[in-house]
Amino acid sequence: MPILAIDTATLVSSVALATADTLLAEITLQTKKTHSELLMPHIAKLLDMAEVTKSDIKAVAVSIGPGSFTGLRIGLSTAKTLAYALNIPLVGVPTLAAMAYGCPVPGVILAPMLDAQKGNVYQALFEWQEGELKEIQPAVVTEVTASLEKLSQYDRPVVLMGEAAVMYRDKIEQIGKNLILAAPHVIIQRASSVGGLGHRLVKQGIKHDVMSLEPVYIRRSEAEVLWECRHGVSK
Amino acid sequence: MEQIQHEIEKTCLTLALETSCDETSASVVADGRIILSNVISSQVPVHQKYGGVVPEIASRKHIENVLPVVDQALREAGVTLADISAIGVTYGPGLVGALLVGVSVAKALSFATDIPLVGVNHLEGHIFANFLAHRDLEPPFMALVVSGGHTSLVHVKGYNEFELLGQTRDDAAGEAFDKVARVMKLPYPGGPYIDSLAAKGNPEAIAFPRALPGKNSFEFSFSGLKSAVLNYLNSAAQKQEEINTADVAASFQAAVVDVLVSKSLQAAATCGVKQIVVAGGVAANSGLKAKMAYECKKAGFSLHYPDPILCTDNAAMIACRAYYQHLIGDYADLHLNAKPSLKLGHG
Ligand SMILES: [Zn+2]
Repeated sequence: MPILAIDTATLVSSVALATADTLLAEITLQTKKTHSELLMPHIAKLLDMAEVTKSDIKAVAVSIGPGSFTGLRIGLSTAKTLAYALNIPLVGVPTLAAMAYGCPVPGVILAPMLDAQKGNVYQALFEWQEGELKEIQPAVVTEVTASLEKLSQYDRPVVLMGEAAVMYRDKIEQIGKNLILAAPHVIIQRASSVGGLGHRLVKQGIKHDVMSLEPVYIRRSEAEVLWECRHGVSK
Repeated sequence: MEQIQHEIEKTCLTLALETSCDETSASVVADGRIILSNVISSQVPVHQKYGGVVPEIASRKHIENVLPVVDQALREAGVTLADISAIGVTYGPGLVGALLVGVSVAKALSFATDIPLVGVNHLEGHIFANFLAHRDLEPPFMALVVSGGHTSLVHVKGYNEFELLGQTRDDAAGEAFDKVARVMKLPYPGGPYIDSLAAKGNPEAIAFPRALPGKNSFEFSFSGLKSAVLNYLNSAAQKQEEINTADVAASFQAAVVDVLVSKSLQAAATCGVKQIVVAGGVAANSGLKAKMAYECKKAGFSLHYPDPILCTDNAAMIACRAYYQHLIGDYADLHLNAKPSLKLGHG
């Protein structure tokens, strides 16, 4: 019984059907079209092509963030509603962890990073230890140059992934040393990885509440931050 | 129980979602006219401290509230998804991020259940609130849609035939209310506060301008009036003069109401219709209600407006509109997208 997996955290639109050990189908597009237009038609097409019916879906796994606020909400609204209407479990999969999961290479540091605007990135660090993906730094917002400098101090190769790795390619190549850009098919989000990690999470008994699950934004809205600055509220 | 089950089978139920601004709402309506549930989760208190709706915060609240609201709407109506004939959703106009939550949920619901999807124009929804409030009301009629975002005159020729006669060139009427209220240091949203203050003042105390009084223009403009009120308040403050805030509110409200009422009557007369309906948040304004009732009576027009709860953004009005689109097979497919500046009568 496959999991339906969704990733719309960035410009990449990706949906996949995956059983615990097999990727049945995946549609991944990196175009300028909006997630709102693509996502549901892709899910319909995916099931159709894989000859999987709605009632065959075992659970829905969704890339939960960080990422584009609107993109995350489109993915999560869709995932929650499918889980609700089809009466199946929902699991929110951390976006950066899913990216690292797609690159099962031991001995290196995996550094997925997504654009957080104004020279900042959402970033977490992972490494594989005995077949398990370990988070060595949880997702934070960090200034990109300082972060790259810090990563270049490691005595191991650091594999950079995500839209921010593409955006700051020049900077990464300039610093050089141990910093490596992932290959194009690994550098972007893939719903197959969300599905794969989703299966592991489900197996560990993790599932989320359909009613209350929210995206992991990490950042508050700008209006909230400004309001607190103006009113002298200390965080 | 069997009785109820039988009743449900006979009727056509529409489920609808509305997330275009700061209310998350879901509703089940029977045969387009009878509200079985209309759940509204208002975010007004959340946005109050910012003095207006913050789009990102609105979107965050929508995704938090949307499924509990849908679930509650079904439970309060005593039905399940299997009983629903069509799923309606507001796809514009409104805040894009907010609309996208409702649209995504509605599409996923439609896909999961194979229930047809109907994309509803929010403004048409406001007009259709009148069909819920007045079960015998039928087109044709002239509709004045007045809210924080819109001021439009619409000739409703049939359930699916609309002609937009004119709209505001700048501020919406409700927006002018909110801006004036802000300068008068009234709480947000200011419309109701101006309304109650105006009741205690003299509407003829200050001669604020009436914009675009041209006989055959059905366009509105409220930015000049807003500036006149702001200038009046500022110069009084500079001269350290006491002002009578009730008179300012009453005179401002009278200027807005005069224009709304006279243009609505002119439009109805021009199109040869005998009924006028008012819709949108400002339809709850007591000054507008009184003046409109008085002038309609004098001119021989019948007048309708919805109950206050149906004047605000709500999903029942969307479910009503969706029902009439469902009757003619006006469905959307899974590509349906949010259209933040959707115009009336356009797909
Ligand atoms: Zn509205």
